[in-house]
Amino acid sequence: MQTVTLTPIIQSKISIEAETITPDNFAGKTREEIENITIWEGNHKTRLFEFFKIALEGKDSPENTKIIINGSIPRVKRVGEGMTDGMILINGDVDMHVGAKMQGGVITVKGNADSWAGREMKGGEIIIGGDAGYYLGAGYRGESCGMRGGKIIVFGDVKDYAGEHICGGEILIKGSAGLMPGISNNGGIITIEGNTEMPGAEMKKGTIKINGVVETLVPSYKQEDDEEIDGIVYNKYTGDVVAGGKGSLYIKK
Amino acid sequence: MSELLIKNGRVFDPINSINGDIMDIAIKNGKIVDDIPLSPDTKVIDASSMIVMPGGVDAHSHIAGSKVNSGRIMCPNDGRSGIEKRTKITRPCSGYTVPNTFAMGYRYAKLGYTTVFEAAIPILHARHTHEEFGDIPIIDKGGLVLFGSNWQVMEAVRENDIEKLAAYVAWGLSASRGYGVKIVNPGGGEAWGFGKNVSGLHDTVPNFDVTPAEIITGLAKANEMLHLPHSIHLHCNLLGKPGNYKTTIETMKLLEHIKPSMDRQVVHITHLTFNAWGGTNWGDFESKADAVADYLNQHDHVTVDMGQLIFGNATTMTADGPMQYANARLLATKWTNGDVELEDASGVVPLSYIRKMYIHDIMWAVGLEVALLTKNPWQVLLTTDHPNGGPFVNYPEVIALLMSARKREEEMSKLSNKMRDRTTLSGIGRELDWYDIAIKTRASHAKILGLTDHGKGHLGAYADADVTIYHINPDQVDAGREHATVKKAFEKPAYTIKDGKVVAMNGEITATPEGRTFWVNASVPEEDNTRLMKDLRLKFRKYYSINLANYMVQDSYVKHPVVIKAGGS
Amino acid sequence: MEITDAICSFCGSLCDDLTVKVEDNKIIDVKRACRLGASKMLGHERINSPMIRNEAGILEEASFDSAIDKASQILLHAKRPLLYGWASTSCEAQSKGVLLGEILGAVVDSTASVCHGPTTLGVQEKGLPTASLGQIKNRADLIIFWGCNPIHAHPRHMSRYSGYLPGFFLDRGRQNRKFVTVDVRMTETAAISDEFLQIEQGSDYVVLSALRALVNGKDDLVPDVVCGVSKEDLVRLSGMMRSCRFGAFFFGMGLTQSKGRYKNIDCALSLTNDLNTQTKFVITPLRGHYNVTGFGQVCSWQTGFPAVDLSRGAPYYNPGEMSANDLLMRDEVDASLIVASDPAAHFPSTSVRNLAKMPLIQIDPYANATTEIADVVIPTAIVGVETEGTAYRMDGLSLRLRKLVDSDYPSDEEILDKIIKKVSRKGDVC
Repeated sequence: MQTVTLTPIIQSKISIEAETITPDNFAGKTREEIENITIWEGNHKTRLFEFFKIALEGKDSPENTKIIINGSIPRVKRVGEGMTDGMILINGDVDMHVGAKMQGGVITVKGNADSWAGREMKGGEIIIGGDAGYYLGAGYRGESCGMRGGKIIVFGDVKDYAGEHICGGEILIKGSAGLMPGISNNGGIITIEGNTEMPGAEMKKGTIKINGVVETLVPSYKQEDDEEIDGIVYNKYTGDVVAGGKGSLYIKK
Repeated sequence: MSELLIKNGRVFDPINSINGDIMDIAIKNGKIVDDIPLSPDTKVIDASSMIVMPGGVDAHSHIAGSKVNSGRIMCPNDGRSGIEKRTKITRPCSGYTVPNTFAMGYRYAKLGYTTVFEAAIPILHARHTHEEFGDIPIIDKGGLVLFGSNWQVMEAVRENDIEKLAAYVAWGLSASRGYGVKIVNPGGGEAWGFGKNVSGLHDTVPNFDVTPAEIITGLAKANEMLHLPHSIHLHCNLLGKPGNYKTTIETMKLLEHIKPSMDRQVVHITHLTFNAWGGTNWGDFESKADAVADYLNQHDHVTVDMGQLIFGNATTMTADGPMQYANARLLATKWTNGDVELEDASGVVPLSYIRKMYIHDIMWAVGLEVALLTKNPWQVLLTTDHPNGGPFVNYPEVIALLMSARKREEEMSKLSNKMRDRTTLSGIGRELDWYDIAIKTRASHAKILGLTDHGKGHLGAYADADVTIYHINPDQVDAGREHATVKKAFEKPAYTIKDGKVVAMNGEITATPEGRTFWVNASVPEEDNTRLMKDLRLKFRKYYSINLANYMVQDSYVKHPVVIKAGGS
Repeated sequence: MEITDAICSFCGSLCDDLTVKVEDNKIIDVKRACRLGASKMLGHERINSPMIRNEAGILEEASFDSAIDKASQILLHAKRPLLYGWASTSCEAQSKGVLLGEILGAVVDSTASVCHGPTTLGVQEKGLPTASLGQIKNRADLIIFWGCNPIHAHPRHMSRYSGYLPGFFLDRGRQNRKFVTVDVRMTETAAISDEFLQIEQGSDYVVLSALRALVNGKDDLVPDVVCGVSKEDLVRLSGMMRSCRFGAFFFGMGLTQSKGRYKNIDCALSLTNDLNTQTKFVITPLRGHYNVTGFGQVCSWQTGFPAVDLSRGAPYYNPGEMSANDLLMRDEVDASLIVASDPAAHFPSTSVRNLAKMPLIQIDPYANATTEIADVVIPTAIVGVETEGTAYRMDGLSLRLRKLVDSDYPSDEEILDKIIKKVSRKGDVC
């Protein structure tokens, strides 16, 4: 087991881009090597030790590497981007793109995550204890596919466009979601325990289940017979017909 | 005074009938010279065991202008796929199918190409094309101008006033600072103005009472009347529809009796990958490349290019508006449309070509079949119709496929059986040689465009000193077996030399001079012009949305112009 | 002296038929321009001289050289510089802006990010089925104005492109055409339309979805009332759309900036696409500033993207993350260069506060709210009046703006070029 603990020493106003913080990249490295890993502060190329105090225990492969970020890093982006294995634990908030393009392993965010958490994620798991921003598990601009696999759980609320273009995988939102969760989706499962608005617009394929109140439903869904899932009765709709869609939308009765 | 001597290379210069001879190429002040006395200032490149060819020429590519930029704007997902940082001498790059302008120049240069022609410029949007040309470094450029659905063209054809038509073509080339006549789905662009298309060569264009056949022959006559360096350049009707090979052959036949005004083809028919198709629908879709090649083997008034399909992402862009809408609906993908008042249409649709989708597999075979079944190598150019069949950076892949039956067999093993059954590719053993490749990637492009007398496509004295040197020894490499080596060598030439200056080495840019812009200024009799201007003034007053005085491309937009004069004799 | 065929550099319509009368190097009359265009061309108060804010916080006159020097020092020391504006200057200046952004590692963003930026995001989802304005003039028998009021914002649009003039296929002009306005309130444009569909604030996406359902023959799914609009009205509108010969859909900030933002555009683009299975339909954003379209074009061909973050030496694009207002709301910007625009008047107050905190350089012919918070002010010549340059009309048509009178002011392009020279390292590409 290798454990790397990063304690933030300065809170930068300018977002730090730190796609280099992954178990894949840290595994097998010495403390000095990790301290000298490149990160970017705006247009300024810098190194990890400028912003974090680093403690290291052990030396191991990515799957046995755990990164603990001891504190909030609301201005550090892209943590865990593309990681294939191992663990990241963030004891606080994190900035945009946490776990983007993630393929495996687990990221736990104790606080809030900003927008694009789990963007284009393929596998692994992201657990967010607080709220998440816009575009949770969504895609990149112009791309036809967002999240493809893996699982995201958010215990708080999320903002608009959660699971936009989702093609696979699972998103569970314990709180409420903003506008249009699952817009233009083409697969995957989104569950929202709380309220939302205009879910599943342009859904082609996939499942969206809402246990709270839906403020507006786009007028292009076909109502089917009610269905009972896990003891809860749902209004079931299929659509979005304007997209020739065959997705299922369940709204608690 | 800059002098450069390329020593002991194996030279392939088909225009001068040089086929692999060991020779020195001497360069002085940006031109090839017969020889130079060695002075201490002469830079020497030792090219022994390497292939030397004229700089690559691409007669049909979509590199600049409104539809290319529409492709960029609608596809940031493509933009992020080719990101390269700024360096000391290069600007940042982005994109794969629709690279930014800087990448366009660098990547062509890195591939050994020094001259590239944009294949579709609406006159109204020509200023935009030249603005982008100005930001494409290194390579020389020129552009073909759309005339096939233009009101003034159709009216002159209807009136059978070929002199006035010629006057308009000359005026349009001058207004757009363009080089040649492009025709795309003639009449179809106008029909698309109300969401329709034309159904074939003899269907009447709505509201204009002319047929595509009349538009094509009219423009061919005007083209020859003007002695333009290039022939008409034609994207056939019904492109993208199963069974269109008949229309393609019929179009070629239409022009059998037109006499070229100079030693070249009467028509260049472009991107055969998309219009040598048999069948009646997507279910019985098949290749008819053999029928088209048969025709080409018996007729020399036609040249064509492959428009080879490359598996993976592409962005289709063409003036063929109705075809693009059909494409976008079929694939349920993004669709940009750009009708141009009084002139033409256009559409941009990004897509992916996928192995084992038999339609794509068959299309992949069509381009190769046309190139391999047509006996005369000068008659078929190597292109991918960038970025319609795929991005130009894949030319080395196409070269390797043409040179190696084994590589084709390896590729075919990854494709559907329907492809084997419905194309002739698996039965073709022909393997092109280095000389053929030099023809298909530079010599014939220059000849077809009419650029050989203007210093392109060859290494004779006074030619532009555009030279590419490849890290490959033809004596030691058996291209049929070692196709991977061939591909690699063409991907990263040892040197690309532009106007005597080394602009790229082993895949790295070493210098970024600005390229030239070729355009054709054709003179016409004054009385024809007077008749024309009467028509045009009315059109600008009533139908265009801008004034005549603001229409023409101002000279300040044309970087390093090379004006080629043409006109009646 | 009379200059004919002059092009107006006020709004995205770029009317190119003005006749301008010049006496003693002064414009004394402008024929055919609308009141907005004429007012700009006849001139108003200018910034006289470059200025630098002194230690007492007062803007003090300075030489061009010292202002450029000061500007360069500010930019060179920034880690997150923002180069913003660009909507009211030439493509040539915009092109210099991108180059400066590369050298500095800056974010280069235009005013589009707070007006029609959502349009671009919609286009990235669905593409843009459009046509040149002349195509619409010659063919459109149905014109829809959605969330826009051209009579107010683009006064000559309807008379030149979208309604009143006869076209090749519509010899009686307005009489051949039907106008429909969809908006949340009665507007001047709605008042002269044949139909006015009043919708609830923020209901655009739902109403557009209902129209899509109707156009796709799913009438049975549409409820009797959709966000306050009766199904009957929607059926009539979708019927007009399907049965016209050529429909043109114009939209403005009423659609791009209301709830759903770019998803509204996405839906309108899809509706346009669907309608082409049955007739001909095109869609065009009514762009505001005269060359905001040009910035999107230039930045896209040069970097691949219509706005760009060059902080790491390579282009990066992600509105919502790197747009001017996103960065300012988070207080990330540590120096800014504002060219030909007025964010202090148009951005949310938090953004303006953050903008004011940090060094700000303004390049503009005119003083505006942003001047009040600027640390360096550099006055320039007015493009299309005092200097030539390229601009793109709202439909993507490139035009050459003319110079009408002489000026002592340098152009935006010249000032930017001088800054570039100052901030470049020797031998670098610039």
